[in-house]
Amino acid sequence: MTTTTQATPPATRGRLRRLLPVLGGAQGYVGLVLVVLIGIWSQGDRFADVDNLTNAIGYFAPRGILAVGMTLVIISGGIDLSVGAVMAVGSTASAMLLTQANWPVAAIVPASMLIGAAFGFVNGAGTAWLRIQSFVMTLAMMTVARGIVREVSGNQSIGTVVLTPDGEVAPGSAQFQLLGTPGTRLFDVPLIGYFPVLALLVVIVVFQLLLSRTTFGRHVYAVGGNATAARLSGVSVTGVTVVVFTLSGMLAGLAGPINAAYNASADPQAGLGYELDAIAAVVIGGASLAGGRGSVVGTAVGALILTLLDNVLGLNNFSANWQMIIKGTIVVAAVVIQRPELLAGIVARLRRRDDPHPSGDGPGTPAPSSGPAPAARRDAAGEDTPRRNATQDVTSHEVTTHEVTTKEL
Amino acid sequence: MTEATTPLPGTDPVPVLEMRGIGKTFPGVRALDGVHLTAHAGRVVALLGENGAGKSTLINVLSGVFPAYDGEVLVDGEPVTLHAPAEAQRLGIATIHQELNLVPDMSVSDNVWLGRERSRAGWVERREQAREAARLLGRVGLEIDPRKPVRQFRVAEQQLIEVAKALSIDTRVLIMDEPTSALADAEVHRLFGVIRALTAEGVAVVYISHRLEELEEMADSVTVLRDGRWIGTRPMDGVRRDELIHMMVGRELGAQSPPPGPARPGDAGIDDAGRDAEPRLVVQDLTVRADPRAGRVALRGVGFTVRPGEVVGLAGLMGAGRTETLEAVFGAYRRHEVGGTVLLDGRPLRPRSPRGAIDRGVALVAEDRKTQSLVLGATVRFNASLAALRSFARGGWLRGAAERRDVQREVRRLAVKTPGLAATVGHLSGGNQQKVVLAKWLLTHPRVILLDEPTRGIDVGAKAEIYDIVAALAAEGVAVVVASSELPELLRMSDRIVVLCEGRVTAELDAASATQEDILTAAMARRALVAP
Repeated sequence: MTTTTQATPPATRGRLRRLLPVLGGAQGYVGLVLVVLIGIWSQGDRFADVDNLTNAIGYFAPRGILAVGMTLVIISGGIDLSVGAVMAVGSTASAMLLTQANWPVAAIVPASMLIGAAFGFVNGAGTAWLRIQSFVMTLAMMTVARGIVREVSGNQSIGTVVLTPDGEVAPGSAQFQLLGTPGTRLFDVPLIGYFPVLALLVVIVVFQLLLSRTTFGRHVYAVGGNATAARLSGVSVTGVTVVVFTLSGMLAGLAGPINAAYNASADPQAGLGYELDAIAAVVIGGASLAGGRGSVVGTAVGALILTLLDNVLGLNNFSANWQMIIKGTIVVAAVVIQRPELLAGIVARLRRRDDPHPSGDGPGTPAPSSGPAPAARRDAAGEDTPRRNATQDVTSHEVTTHEVTTKEL
Repeated sequence: MTEATTPLPGTDPVPVLEMRGIGKTFPGVRALDGVHLTAHAGRVVALLGENGAGKSTLINVLSGVFPAYDGEVLVDGEPVTLHAPAEAQRLGIATIHQELNLVPDMSVSDNVWLGRERSRAGWVERREQAREAARLLGRVGLEIDPRKPVRQFRVAEQQLIEVAKALSIDTRVLIMDEPTSALADAEVHRLFGVIRALTAEGVAVVYISHRLEELEEMADSVTVLRDGRWIGTRPMDGVRRDELIHMMVGRELGAQSPPPGPARPGDAGIDDAGRDAEPRLVVQDLTVRADPRAGRVALRGVGFTVRPGEVVGLAGLMGAGRTETLEAVFGAYRRHEVGGTVLLDGRPLRPRSPRGAIDRGVALVAEDRKTQSLVLGATVRFNASLAALRSFARGGWLRGAAERRDVQREVRRLAVKTPGLAATVGHLSGGNQQKVVLAKWLLTHPRVILLDEPTRGIDVGAKAEIYDIVAALAAEGVAVVVASSELPELLRMSDRIVVLCEGRVTAELDAASATQEDILTAAMARRALVAP
């Protein structure tokens, strides 16, 4: 029959079209540019300074990493409220492994990720197998994990800077500082050399690829978009759910030691409210809490907006209170901007108030643009056979239905 | 224009409802343009058109769903605006959408009175509501407890609950969008009785259906739309089917006389070979536990066989167990709920999940494509490749080029009308959505394909294409099982027909010689089952 798919567009256009969903729409970038411009306009070089930006992003990095895990969970149609508490678990566990067990950093980080993954697995198991709503399951886990970390740490912060008897920083501790203590660098490249920034970047790239280029990623979108259809298409909905929550927990476990290194101590109260910042970043990044929509790159943009906004407001001496108020407003604004039909509806309603009798073009007026639809939709050739069959079918209907009707009445 | 405003002979000069030059533009698409519709009290006006012709858009304008439209709407000759559903309701315009608008977890009674609860000082008068609801339900022939949640009832019953809900307001114009698409023939007649009673009370009915014989039975006049444009309005008496079809599709179709016997490509060649071949699918004594909460009926021992290249039809009234049979074979239920034996190529098939069935070469085109088959917000490509995703991946890593190539091939082969592989599936018409579902399953290279109501809610043209696709599959040697409520369709598509009633097989008929009466008799053979 006719145009199944229109003639292949020029290569560049096709590429752009494929790239666009990855970029998560232009609105996010508009916001980002706006924040940057305000930063430069109000603070100039104080804002546009590598050290300032490194520090700002490094400070936000743990939450950024949580947000990446949260992106997966939200796309799959769930939510993970436990990430902040699980991060605190990882944070304290790392500090204890460092100070009490003298583990090398290269072992501490994977260990912390494993612990986080275990918590995430329990979340996934409860959601997938016990069919507890993820909000409830992870709310419970948030409380449990917070309780565990407070109990294990005896409600004490654990300093990660251990001094040797002669006043030097112990070698293990010095290594640990490389995970994110401000002023340290893993290797000597600005911005990227700072471990939290590097870790965040790697996580973003890896998970963006995982979501967009693997069967698993497709399955995550399918489960969030329509779980029934996914299951009937052979996707293991429970499997995907368990893996998604496990990954989210694992990333919280990664954020733990980074957060501890940044603060030079592991506080059992660390990460309070981080889950909400993570959700905010995901939502600003264009994901839908209904599931099936979103991207890691979008989340990264959302996280960057929140980070730089914090930074700009801080540099301009806004109090923390005002920062919170503005951040909340931004979340709402971002969601509204992403749904242009909302604005269009409001505009239409306002316009109608002015003009109670909107009668558009009369019946005689030709359509302004009838779009691609009508004429091109079908051509005669090749459709003859099915049509004829249809007609026959209809006719046979007629004959038999009347018989049946009389029979039944 | 002139034709639309000229009253039909013998009708009330002032129509209850008149729509003039209605247009509606969506971003990039002119969905409606210059459409007229006139409804008179006590009359049924049919709205006819292929999927995508603009019927649903017109209905949505009429029920106040779209705040922005152009053109003029008159009620009793007075111009009115329809910018909110509440405005339409106030004017006495009630709509029963194709997708039912009931809150599944609320009781039938609460649904009937939703938004117009009967209350005294803010307290809902539940007992009075339930009593009144029961009376309204009685008028539509439903004997059910109005305090039970809507979720427990089958689609056919929910449809009638919607009608009862419409009756609960002072309805002057009742719009019914494909009310019979989910109903078995017996329930259709009950619905017609209800419609006749309503028109006798002076209600104007706007009736949308693809089934021409229904329109001939019910409608007084018919308005045809095509590609969002008004094509014409005719009195139903004296209009010929081929004229209507011509108006719908824009050209003449072939001969109107039915063929001597149902023409099925599967009858020839392959099929004769198939009859001697080993059965591809053997179902023996299949049982499924009922699950009223999921609206699932019990199977009490269903058995049939399907050979390669054969099309077996599953017939039965609502709740006979057609869907359950297909879904049980496909592994959609938990294993402990399913009993009996299913053999695929002689080896037992007991899938733990649909994945297991798919891996053995079984495909299921599910009953409800929107909730069971498609991720509506995702693209054509995403949906089409979902079930066969593994074949496009190496080590979990997708090979996009292979995926795009294969999906493109199927989309071409099935003639899916889509602006591209990146188009959102939810924006396609019903028939094209169903073709995407078929593409998804064809990409898995099935050996057995189970089709549950494959043509529900799609237009005549697309239906015929789907018949051809099924026939072609059978000709390739795929074993096909198709369940349908439309008996002529079933007779046309199948080689053999297995009739179910209340979870048991009550007849197995040769489609070439069976009549609709034979099938209906077997489908209603309830008494026989009650006997010991």
